[in-house]
Amino acid sequence: MTSFLRPSILRRASLRSLTLHPWQVGLSVLGIALGVAVVLAVDLANTTARDAFALFADTIAGRATHVIVGGPSGVPEDVYRRLRVELGVRPSAPVVERDVSAPAYPGVAFHLLGVDPFAEPPFRSLGNPETPGGLRPLAILLTRPNSVLVARDTARRLRIAAGDDLVIRVGIAHRRLTVVGELTPADELSAQAFESLLLTDIATAQELLSMGGRLSRIDLIVAPGAAARETLARIGAVLPAGVDVVSARARADAVEQLTRAFRVNLSALSLLALVVGLFLVYNAMTFSVVQRRELFGVLRALGVGRREVFILVLGEALAIGIVATLLGVGLGIVLGHGLVRLVARTINDLYATITVSSLAVSPGALARAVALGIAGTVVAAIAPALEATVTSPRAVLARSVIERRARRAAPRLGLLGVVTVGAGWGILRMPGGGMPAAYAGLFAFLLGAALLTPVATILLVAGIRAVAGRALGMPARMAAGAVVQTLSRTSVALAALTIAVAATVGIGIMIQSFRETVVRWLEASLQADVYVSSPSLVSNRPDATLDPALAARLVSAPGVAHANRLRAVRVPSPGGAVQLVALDADARGYRGFRLKAGNANTLRDDLAAGAVVVSEPFAYRRHLDVGSRVRLRTDRGEHDFAVAAVYYDYGSSEGTVLMSRAVYDRLWDDREISSLGLYAAPGVDVEALVASLRARAGADADVLIRSNRALRTASLAVFDRTFAVTIVLRHLATIVAFLGVLSALTALVLERSREVAILRAQGFTPREVWRLVTGQTAVMGLVAGVLAIPVGIGLALVLVFVINQRSFGWTLELEVPARVLAQAVLLSVGAAVLAGLYPARRLSRLGLPEALRGE
Amino acid sequence: MRVLALLLAGVALAAGGAVWWLRSDSPPPSANIAVAEALGGETTAGYARATAPRTFVFPRDHGPHPAYRTEWWYYTGNVATPEGRHFGYQLTFFRIALTPEAVVRASRWGATHVYMAHFAVTDTRAGRFRPSQRFARGAAGLAGAQASPFRVWLEDWSVEGAGENGLPMRLRAADGGAAIDLTLDAGKPVVLQGDHGLSRKGAEDGNASYYYSFTRMPTRGTIEIDGRRFAVAGASWMDREWSTSGLGDNVGWDWFALQLGDGRDLMFYRLRRADGSADEWSGGTLVAADGSARPLGSRDVGIDVLDTWVSPAGTRYPARWRLRLDGARLQLDLTPRLSDQELGEPLRYWEGAVRVEGTDGAVPVTGDGYVELVGYATSSRAPRTGAPGPR
Repeated sequence: MTSFLRPSILRRASLRSLTLHPWQVGLSVLGIALGVAVVLAVDLANTTARDAFALFADTIAGRATHVIVGGPSGVPEDVYRRLRVELGVRPSAPVVERDVSAPAYPGVAFHLLGVDPFAEPPFRSLGNPETPGGLRPLAILLTRPNSVLVARDTARRLRIAAGDDLVIRVGIAHRRLTVVGELTPADELSAQAFESLLLTDIATAQELLSMGGRLSRIDLIVAPGAAARETLARIGAVLPAGVDVVSARARADAVEQLTRAFRVNLSALSLLALVVGLFLVYNAMTFSVVQRRELFGVLRALGVGRREVFILVLGEALAIGIVATLLGVGLGIVLGHGLVRLVARTINDLYATITVSSLAVSPGALARAVALGIAGTVVAAIAPALEATVTSPRAVLARSVIERRARRAAPRLGLLGVVTVGAGWGILRMPGGGMPAAYAGLFAFLLGAALLTPVATILLVAGIRAVAGRALGMPARMAAGAVVQTLSRTSVALAALTIAVAATVGIGIMIQSFRETVVRWLEASLQADVYVSSPSLVSNRPDATLDPALAARLVSAPGVAHANRLRAVRVPSPGGAVQLVALDADARGYRGFRLKAGNANTLRDDLAAGAVVVSEPFAYRRHLDVGSRVRLRTDRGEHDFAVAAVYYDYGSSEGTVLMSRAVYDRLWDDREISSLGLYAAPGVDVEALVASLRARAGADADVLIRSNRALRTASLAVFDRTFAVTIVLRHLATIVAFLGVLSALTALVLERSREVAILRAQGFTPREVWRLVTGQTAVMGLVAGVLAIPVGIGLALVLVFVINQRSFGWTLELEVPARVLAQAVLLSVGAAVLAGLYPARRLSRLGLPEALRGE
Repeated sequence: MRVLALLLAGVALAAGGAVWWLRSDSPPPSANIAVAEALGGETTAGYARATAPRTFVFPRDHGPHPAYRTEWWYYTGNVATPEGRHFGYQLTFFRIALTPEAVVRASRWGATHVYMAHFAVTDTRAGRFRPSQRFARGAAGLAGAQASPFRVWLEDWSVEGAGENGLPMRLRAADGGAAIDLTLDAGKPVVLQGDHGLSRKGAEDGNASYYYSFTRMPTRGTIEIDGRRFAVAGASWMDREWSTSGLGDNVGWDWFALQLGDGRDLMFYRLRRADGSADEWSGGTLVAADGSARPLGSRDVGIDVLDTWVSPAGTRYPARWRLRLDGARLQLDLTPRLSDQELGEPLRYWEGAVRVEGTDGAVPVTGDGYVELVGYATSSRAPRTGAPGPR
């Protein structure tokens, strides 16, 4: 059938319907825009952080294919001499490096990189050194102790000029450096990588870091091919025990792997926001179709083809999608600027030092966001568009038929919902299913929940009418009844609202569960009264050491009954570097361990016998259990350790291996201490003890002495900081949900103006009409809020027990805070009432003839 | 005399940096530091100067003289397989002081000297010249020199003296498919160049170096090319020099070291002024078959350039010469074994094996030698670009 109506008339009809409901359209646009913005912002922040991380890793690791690494004390420097002088192994480059901080620049992370400039060219592009006078940067760097080069941009930012001194903190010591010149990066990209770099000669680095005779590592470039194995074997033959060649790729991959879980998690949460946004589109489009049934009926009767109607509706969606996406992209970039700092900080806290000073707006991320926004909108509009095409001219008159059909369909949809939820459950339970499966399951669950909404609404409203109706009287009963009677229109809105609110509930519960778990873990594991540590730049990498004399002085202080000594280091292992903790403690020191597997009673004996205990994430990552073995590279060569137990630990997402100090001392040459746990003698006040210990340490001592309580607070502060991004995402999802409620209900109410007019004609007062309308929106808000609770809890279960478990390996205890649930209902009802206020006011004041004109 | 090192002493500071920044992605900002500027920028204050003849003691003086700013151990030679396949080689070690001050460092990597080495093999039959170079700090055992037992090394390139007096000397180096392992005997007694080993380069007091040579060292050993090993024998030339001098007004030099079939050895250097003329401080030595040496002044040797050659980088070098001595009684025609014996960045110069044919009166004379051409690598007569230019 071909239409005799010109397309322009169709377009005008479409435009009119859009302009007739500017609020509804505007809110849909805003909803999608926010969804797109969140996805884009997270994408940009993630990409920027990842690139910064990769760039930094590249700058530091350079073009090395292999790396010679040692234990905690590094690689003996003579290994390098033997490689170059005796074996002629090149390209090879020695590196002495560490993260340091500068008291004058709190919060700025520096990376002190000591290299041999003569060995560098094949490895790193370190830019052009420039010194005042210009001629001899190399001579100055080599011959003047404590001289460093900083990147030009860093120098500008920190207002450091050549010739200035820069005091850095290395462990507990302060060292005075002289900035002798600036590095001019070759391009913008390396400029970013240089941000935190203090580049110095290897001799200076050894002196500053007290690493005389040792190197952090030796970088190698071994050409691939048949000769590679022979070269590596030749190198391996001269390496002392505890020093080994590892592939640079494996090393970088391990780090990449670590941060990936975090980034994937964020992306998924951001997608959740978009899903909510798309539900809103679906709702808006469905609604506009339902509203215009009559129009479509007439058009169809006039000979407009199904295809044209379909294209008309899809075209509207496309227009909305384009406008919303463009808005969302702008918003996303703004939002990304804020998020990138949070993401970078979290990665810093959890994994490594990166400096992100600006957001890199990558064309790829923009393209993804645009595609997602526009395509998502169009896809969400397909079902409503199809519905518009099946509207036959006669059916429009029989609205009751549609409503009856909708109510009859509810149980069938519900059944489909149950099946979908079941399928989601199956996917989640699938053994060996990774993160993609987890997210597929999650979205199946949400879809199922949405399909269940109509039937749940019918049941819920019946309940509300039974309970509240009698108490509130006729208008309330009518309000509740109206929700079910107009199910064809309300169900989609309700599903959208439920999912939106559930998302905030789910994330809220997840964060709260995580936090509560950490709080309980801190309470259990922090057994000592006072903790002494060296200020470490990165909270999760306590590799700084305590001055031994100072440690001895503190342990022997009056009021101290007993001390645990702890050493935390990174040691190489065949599967990548491992965070190792060596504990020197009596029985009290082991009381803090809560075991997931293994026997707590024999823990000390097992450790004394040479076994290790591993943290839960470590066991998860390496597929270990009690009885498994962990291979570590000790200073005496590779050694297998039996796993005696798996303990709960939330301090490190990469996981920790713990052993007794005596075992550590037998296998490693390192004698340093990282931190102390001090027990107060009976009757000694802890805060007073902290004060006296601080006095004993002296004002100059660069050491952190904190009470159990203070450390717990500080730890939680770090936790909250790492979750700041997630909390921001939750708030964004909440805003989208709020907009959803607002847009859906505003539309619904305005659509009912004719009905209201009839009520007015039947003698309802404006006040009664107002109460009826707001009552109805409140009921819808309530229904959505109540339905969001089980859906949100389900979502939280998936997030906590599947997604977090799979990405980090942590077991969290589910904590369902009433606050979060109440918030959800309040949010839902509040938004609903707010949404009802304006239309109700308008409708109640509407003159009769005006209102009836719709007839 | 290897004036080359004078230049290198100045530029290596920049060049040393260059190895670092050359391969970074942008052209080095200080690419065109002129030699004079580089030298002028580096003070000679604080270093010892060569002002008077000294007593040479061996093997002590084979070892380093760190009080002077620069020093080198310079070996070149012509060798051949029993079948007559000819190879030329160059192995040179430079010590360059970064500061005259002693710096006390806790780290063994703390360095006040940098070592630079050049290694090249001329494979005449294959028509291939294989140059390479290295830098290393004179610390942490990576590079250095010592008198007893005599050893100078930069990583796995080395010269080691076996006996009490540092002789015979074993030279070992390998890079890019070429390798040498040669043993050199003294041959003739040591020759003290200039005034009993004090070789003056200019009118200015202290503008001189201490300089001695072994002009004809019987050499045998192996040369390896791309995995093929050749047993070779021939003769090498060793120059040892240390100083704290500037270059003066000269822009470059031509240096000749020839071993003649009649047992005589000739060393002559022509310092070139900016206008192309020879500086009056040019000179050399003629060593008789019995080892007795006769100094040559700037006017004792006439040099005619018979041909020129343009390198791939566009530099025009003299390519054949006729040397005239003793009122033209001795005439020697020098022909490079290969045209292309140019060493590349950061310092571009020509150092190559040459074939000698000529006459002493009516008697035909043949021989082998090495020629070094420095200061041709820019078009202008202005001070040379010593530091690397953008590629």
